[in-house]
Amino acid sequence: MSVRESDLRATAARLLETGSVAVVIGYGAGTLGRRRPVFVRAPAQAGELVFDDECHQNLATYLLKPEIRRLGRPAVVAIPSVLRSLVQLATERQLKDGDVLALVVGDDGVRELADLAAVRQHLAGLPGSLHPAAKTEIARLSAMTAAERRAFWSDELSRCIKCYACRAACPMCYCERCTTECNRPQWIPVASHGLGTLEYHLMRAMHLAGRCVECATCSRACPAGIPVHLLAVFAEESVRRQFGAEAGAAGPAYALSSFRPEDQEGFIR
Amino acid sequence: MSATAPAAGPAAASRFEPRIVAFVCNWCTYAGADLTGTSRIRYQPNVRVIRLPCTGRIDFMLVMTALANGADGVIVSGCHPNDCHYTSGNFHARRRWMVFRDLLDFAGVDVRRVVFSWVSAAEGAKWAELVDKVTDEVRALGPYREIHDLSGTGVG
Amino acid sequence: MSRVGVFVCHCGENIGGTVDCAAVAAAAARLPGVVEAVDYKYMCSDPGQNLLKEAVKAKRLDGVVVAACSPRMHEPTFRRATEEAGLNPYQCEMANLREHCSWVHLKADSTTAKAVDLVRLQVEKVKRNKPLHPIRVPVTRRALVLGGGIAGIQAALDIANAGHEVILVEKSPSIGGHMSQLSETFPTLDCSQCILTPRMVEVARHPKVTLYTWSELERLEGFVGNFKATIRKKARKIDESICNGCGVCQQKCPVKKIPDEFNEGLSFRKAIYVPFPQAVPNKPVVDVANCTYYKTGKCKACEKYCDQKAIRLDQQDELVVHEVGAVVLATGFRTMPLERFPEYGYGVFPDVIDGLKFERLASASGPTGGAMKRPSDGRTPQTVVFIACAGSRDAQKGVPYCSKICCMYTAKHAMLYRHKVHGGRAVVFYMDVRAAGKSYDEFVRRAVEEDGVEYVRGRVSRVYQEDGKLVVKGADTLLGGEPVEIRADMVVLATAVQAHADAEPLAQKLHVSYDPYRFFAEAHPKLRPVETNTAGIFLAGACQAPRDIPESVAQASGAAVKVCGLFSQPELCREPVIAVVDRQPPPVFSHCTGCFLCQSACPYQAIEQEEIRSRKGELLKTVARVNPGLCQGCGTCVATCRTKAIDLQGYTNEQVFAEVMSL
Repeated sequence: MSVRESDLRATAARLLETGSVAVVIGYGAGTLGRRRPVFVRAPAQAGELVFDDECHQNLATYLLKPEIRRLGRPAVVAIPSVLRSLVQLATERQLKDGDVLALVVGDDGVRELADLAAVRQHLAGLPGSLHPAAKTEIARLSAMTAAERRAFWSDELSRCIKCYACRAACPMCYCERCTTECNRPQWIPVASHGLGTLEYHLMRAMHLAGRCVECATCSRACPAGIPVHLLAVFAEESVRRQFGAEAGAAGPAYALSSFRPEDQEGFIR
Repeated sequence: MSATAPAAGPAAASRFEPRIVAFVCNWCTYAGADLTGTSRIRYQPNVRVIRLPCTGRIDFMLVMTALANGADGVIVSGCHPNDCHYTSGNFHARRRWMVFRDLLDFAGVDVRRVVFSWVSAAEGAKWAELVDKVTDEVRALGPYREIHDLSGTGVG
Repeated sequence: MSRVGVFVCHCGENIGGTVDCAAVAAAAARLPGVVEAVDYKYMCSDPGQNLLKEAVKAKRLDGVVVAACSPRMHEPTFRRATEEAGLNPYQCEMANLREHCSWVHLKADSTTAKAVDLVRLQVEKVKRNKPLHPIRVPVTRRALVLGGGIAGIQAALDIANAGHEVILVEKSPSIGGHMSQLSETFPTLDCSQCILTPRMVEVARHPKVTLYTWSELERLEGFVGNFKATIRKKARKIDESICNGCGVCQQKCPVKKIPDEFNEGLSFRKAIYVPFPQAVPNKPVVDVANCTYYKTGKCKACEKYCDQKAIRLDQQDELVVHEVGAVVLATGFRTMPLERFPEYGYGVFPDVIDGLKFERLASASGPTGGAMKRPSDGRTPQTVVFIACAGSRDAQKGVPYCSKICCMYTAKHAMLYRHKVHGGRAVVFYMDVRAAGKSYDEFVRRAVEEDGVEYVRGRVSRVYQEDGKLVVKGADTLLGGEPVEIRADMVVLATAVQAHADAEPLAQKLHVSYDPYRFFAEAHPKLRPVETNTAGIFLAGACQAPRDIPESVAQASGAAVKVCGLFSQPELCREPVIAVVDRQPPPVFSHCTGCFLCQSACPYQAIEQEEIRSRKGELLKTVARVNPGLCQGCGTCVATCRTKAIDLQGYTNEQVFAEVMSL
């Protein structure tokens, strides 16, 4: 057990003992050397918490679930993507300032960030991109011809079975009734066959444009290994490049519900 | 500006006629298209207009639905920036399209088939020109079936 | 199952000559849900409309499609006919077979095929139409006018004379605005106060007008027809009902050296003061920041000498609430401060002044009694240079727009100077002369031809002091850019007209849009110049753009008539094409996630928050709600909503989706 882990466990135990939080959401040992989320409710359980370089999943997804809300104030082990999600969720009024205690685990111990100001301040000191590998891959795809890209996505999406794990894993996909569940009208064919697959992924990417925190948890969750995060990250990059807005940053809440009269494009006739 | 109906004969029977769906705003482009009619300016009959109050109302999903449902080309048209009847609907639409078009292109969808435009209520001639041009361009591109390839259905 | 009736109009030969209407009707009859499909020569005629009405009744239709001309032409006609037949008018749609089909294509199979497609599109839409009813919003018939300058006064008078109550709120101690500071007005050289003060008195005395001076708007809540305005009556420190305006308090006040705002700092006033002799109301105000009593606890001379015992030094601000149905914004303008002009002396040379200061010098009730005496030493200037466009039309250092009034008032100032100092020399440096109004150009010509004002076309690069003179260095571009140097005794800058420094916070308080220069934004630059995008809030005067007096008065009357229009019915009746956020039974309550990303997309601030609470009062969810009085039905929110919780009546997702799928 590393120093980081023992600090984390001690912190969790203390928080639960004092009743400061009702649950600590963190990572635990999973199968095949992976990590899975754990929901520690009693100090004695704190030993289940682990923290190492295998902890990637964006745990912010759980914060909005009614089962978690019912428990009381949560603490969450906050890797950078979780912090960004907290800010974005608060901007979208899904979380109130102070609702969640963020635990940042570092070599110098566990920092407790109790409010958004603290989270923002901490984020300001972190490197910009969460996912350099995604940026490289997007650049590679962007350099291809449209036909080559079509072939790439055709191949990748042919494996999609519309299990919607990507949606379940994403903290920004918190709508209680997703568009896919709307049947009047039935926007896209939602069953587990190829029809509607492209539309589903394009729709999700568009709904994430300006909101995606680029954690790539969606791709990690995909059982077919499809790099679905590339579409959402691309949309996010597109928003940033064209409008200068960024998820989890200060400024207008949502780039697509604000505008500047000087927005420039070159394709409208 | 070609305005003739397809000529009779075997060549015409096999000529592919694209289906173009147009999403337009009521106050500018729809009125502009009305003006085209009042001015008796002819254009090719391939377009089907869907009237909406404002381009701001045009969900990108409608564009995708049109393509997935067999349209070979889509036109999206509204008021010029600063002229929107509802002040800013077209500004929001513009932002949406800037991202959507980028995303479509990234995903391998042929963005030459989705054309965006500003046509005002006074631009009857522009509407006709636009429809003709887009019809010709899409006819040259051929029927749009690749979107089904992307869906992995194998439906040609 | 739907029972739709399709009526295909020949429109004489207009449609019938190109489209095979009988074939279209036959094709329509085969569409699922269509129980009646006929074609007829002229649907809009009386027999045509009767045909429609009979069919609605006989066949118990629940949807009507009239395939004819453009809906922009006859939708109201057929909707009315549908309503007369007993069916909700919003269950009638039109397919455009004329402007979009027969008039733009040749007679051919493809044209008829297109007509059939267009009909099918509307049939699929109308099958999903729901009955809609006009929205009724109650209206409080009382107006709030913010700003007591000439525009505000005019608007208040017009509305009050139409029989409605008006609340007029003015920030300074008296109404009158900048017009009360002017000496004479162009193009008539009327004495400004002489034409203004009767209006000021009329509005103050009007039985329908409640006047609040030395007051500001604290807060505005509500929406069109139903606003709640909270007004802060700042403490004057006197009891207005007792004070008789005798002025003794002002004579006795020992604090003498406060720069007088009304005289643009050219003279001093006391700590208790009335801004000018003709002030309405003619009741003083205590300047708390400069009054000895508030600084040291001593003095109270005013209280001692007041016969009426009207002084109330411990008076507090008071908040007053009024319910109003409409607001007229008439808060006026300010001029660009002299400190912005480093090349003309930074406001440091006392004899480099701006237009308003010149007005006070020229005014018979000003600090010099109307004599031309320059500020520094009181001597009569023999050479005065007037610099036009100081700060205007200058994207780099000033504002890019033209301030409209300066060419005229510069000519006026030059004329007034020449009238008062017969031997004096008046030189105007100008870029263009903009004198477009009625009798305006003649006025400027008079300045040149009769009053001998010299006009030099060129800009002034610098003004500096030398040997007691102000050296003005400019150029004469009509002589090829030849440098011109004038040794002047006084320089008058026609400074740019700007929005007030607090225009932005006021606009935000009212949710009114404004442009980059903080002028309030009109709803449409050409066709709706007195309305804003915020329903119920109107504009008058220079707060919208630089404006002269005749235009301000005209616009104020325009705004007043809009208000009266709003008040002409006890209820506002609006088209029901508005957005609605869905509501569901518990525990869902609404599919809305409460993210409110739609709120910023709405141009009309029509989206509000609604708290959903349990019976115990516990907050369950905060969701969006569309205010039916404000929504204009653009649908931008609908396209923005990810979860599709908000929909646009008349163009619902289901309807439009069905249209797309029908093709």
